[in-house]
Amino acid sequence: MAGQTDMELIKDGVRLDGRKPDELREVKITAGVLDNADGSCYLEWGNNKIYAGVFGPMECHPRHKQKADRAIVQARYTMAPFSVNDRKRPGIDRRSTEISYIVSQAFEKVVMVEEFPKASIRVDMQVVEAHAGTRCAAMTAASVALADAGIPMRDMIPACASGKVNDIVVLDLNKEEDNYGQADLPLAIIPSTGEVVLLQLDGHLTPDQFEEAMDLATSGCMDLYKIMRDALDKSYGGKK
Amino acid sequence: MSSDSVSNLMKGHMESLAAEGKRADGRGVLEFRNVKIETGMINTAEGSSMVHLGKTKVLCGIKLLIGTPYGDSPGSGTMTTSTELAPLADQSFDPGPPREASIELARVVDRGIRESRMIDFDALCIEHGERVWMVYIDLHILDNGGNLFDCCTLAAAAALSNAKIPNVQHGIAEEDVDLPVTCWPISCTFGKLGDTVILDPTSDEEAVMSARLTVAHDEDGNLRAAQKGMNGAFTDAEVREAVKIARKSDNVLREALKGI
Amino acid sequence: MSEESKNNKNSENSKGFVLPGDLLDSKSKPGKGIFRKDGQVYSSVVGYSNDRSGYVNVNAIKGRYNPKVGDKIVAVCAETGPSVWRMNIGSAFNSTLHHSESGWKVPFGDTARFLAIGDTVWAEVFMVDAGGSHQISLKKDDCRKLYSGTVVQVEPTAVPRVIGKQGSMITAIREKTNTRIQIGQNGFIWIDGKGEDISKAQKAIETIDREASSEGLTKKIEKLLEK
Repeated sequence: MAGQTDMELIKDGVRLDGRKPDELREVKITAGVLDNADGSCYLEWGNNKIYAGVFGPMECHPRHKQKADRAIVQARYTMAPFSVNDRKRPGIDRRSTEISYIVSQAFEKVVMVEEFPKASIRVDMQVVEAHAGTRCAAMTAASVALADAGIPMRDMIPACASGKVNDIVVLDLNKEEDNYGQADLPLAIIPSTGEVVLLQLDGHLTPDQFEEAMDLATSGCMDLYKIMRDALDKSYGGKK
Repeated sequence: MSSDSVSNLMKGHMESLAAEGKRADGRGVLEFRNVKIETGMINTAEGSSMVHLGKTKVLCGIKLLIGTPYGDSPGSGTMTTSTELAPLADQSFDPGPPREASIELARVVDRGIRESRMIDFDALCIEHGERVWMVYIDLHILDNGGNLFDCCTLAAAAALSNAKIPNVQHGIAEEDVDLPVTCWPISCTFGKLGDTVILDPTSDEEAVMSARLTVAHDEDGNLRAAQKGMNGAFTDAEVREAVKIARKSDNVLREALKGI
Repeated sequence: MSEESKNNKNSENSKGFVLPGDLLDSKSKPGKGIFRKDGQVYSSVVGYSNDRSGYVNVNAIKGRYNPKVGDKIVAVCAETGPSVWRMNIGSAFNSTLHHSESGWKVPFGDTARFLAIGDTVWAEVFMVDAGGSHQISLKKDDCRKLYSGTVVQVEPTAVPRVIGKQGSMITAIREKTNTRIQIGQNGFIWIDGKGEDISKAQKAIETIDREASSEGLTKKIEKLLEK
């Protein structure tokens, strides 16, 4: 977040990419795209491209992480070297580790972990092209992959960010807005209850702007939720 | 079935089928699975491809960055190949530092491309002794259905053939040009199943076969790279025969590559 | 929390297709694939709901095998211990075959001589405890070690389709391919016969697994078997 406002990111209510402040980029989701994984999902969000795959429930490795009375969710977020313009060195970095950690915890709230003591549910999110909002896109893809794998859950988790550019609160930041804007707020919710399971903030928001950003991100999540449901319906809802 | 507890019955069945010239998926012993190649889908990469070989799926991205040349070749660009066995591709792909299998894969694919002189490295010189283009080939395995070697080599070749040098972005020239590519290396991987040699093994076959042989040819029919893997063995005659077969069989993959 | 999300309770569509969190409109007792909250019943998986014999269930489209006492399964030896074998049955954890449930007289430490890693058996799940561990037995009915044929894997949720209504599908496959087939509830299927006959049966079974939720499957399989 550079916070520079001399760059005009929004003019007369129209953003650089032609969107209105409350408009989501185009999202396309396909469930069940990989053969080996128990569950999988391919997701395109603007120019973001993500693959998510799930294995489990299975034996927990390493053993010392295993919990006697429930399963753990081991989520891992990685970006391919070619996913960003300035090639990223292969391997896991601190940002990826942080995202993996908070995503694991978010999923442990909805996945019925108590049904599988001592087990692990492995979630792998691979970002193959990145254009801002990758952690939300990855988490959304992972939710669909978990559902695709038949892992019992209380609900799926859509994730969407809102932010602020040129003092205006907007939904779903694109790359320029993420680089030069004033705030970035990724949010993930449980649609049936509205509970927040992931929340981060980076930048500057007045109390009113925060309320507005929360409302906007929440409505973005709900729109996303419908697209997630349609994707699963398309893959499996056909016949009996 | 995870490879550490594959049924011995499956092994016996596949070996006796192979002895009759057949495979569990209905192929002949020297037949490739279906190939599908797509290119140019990753906007952040200078070149990209997605290859499906049967159920195996590999995504390849090419990045070109500017760097300093090696001391012993001041007028040449460089190339680095890496493979990522993404955990979502196979239950046994644990997250963590690259395992030996991943490194072997990257190095074999690298040799096939490098030894065939596919990339014209001299054409990648920007300023002799100072600045050259460095080519990064990053192979991202998304689904391990067996025979990562051939799928990766094909993905790398397809992505390189579709790559453009980003002159404009780096202020080197007025327009982007195609990455200079001189030839097309194709690899063929064989497995030893019982007493039979099979081509293009599936992951089930890999779990029960005893040895693996990969050979890469250029389009003149000359050998450029070879690698024998796993802890079993091929007879001398089997190796020579496999090389002869690879020279003909790789046509299927060559045609697929030309068709993109 | 917006009003929208408070009232956003999705429920099953007319075909009974449900997603995790969907409300099930039923007065029946809760069965499998569901969870309870505030007196209501919700689906916990992607699948089709049905309301039968006083229970509301959701049949998941996919999912790892969950062992139930009485299930007949095909199991593969993954490890040998001094008095037990650890068996891969395709569920979250390996199952245990105790020497006393093998039907053999096994001297202590000599287990590998009877069943080695990779050996395959037709067995019955005879114990599942509260902590989720389970045991299998070779002493019931026709349970035994398997010596020939091959093992094919399908999604456990596809097993009913492989069997067919009153066994019609599997009977047709057996007859048309002249093979012996035993279908494990865990999705591991044993097929025995001549090489090409096994391949034909395998192809039919794998087609059912791949296209389990589509219509016209029966006709497609009939055509495949006629070849």
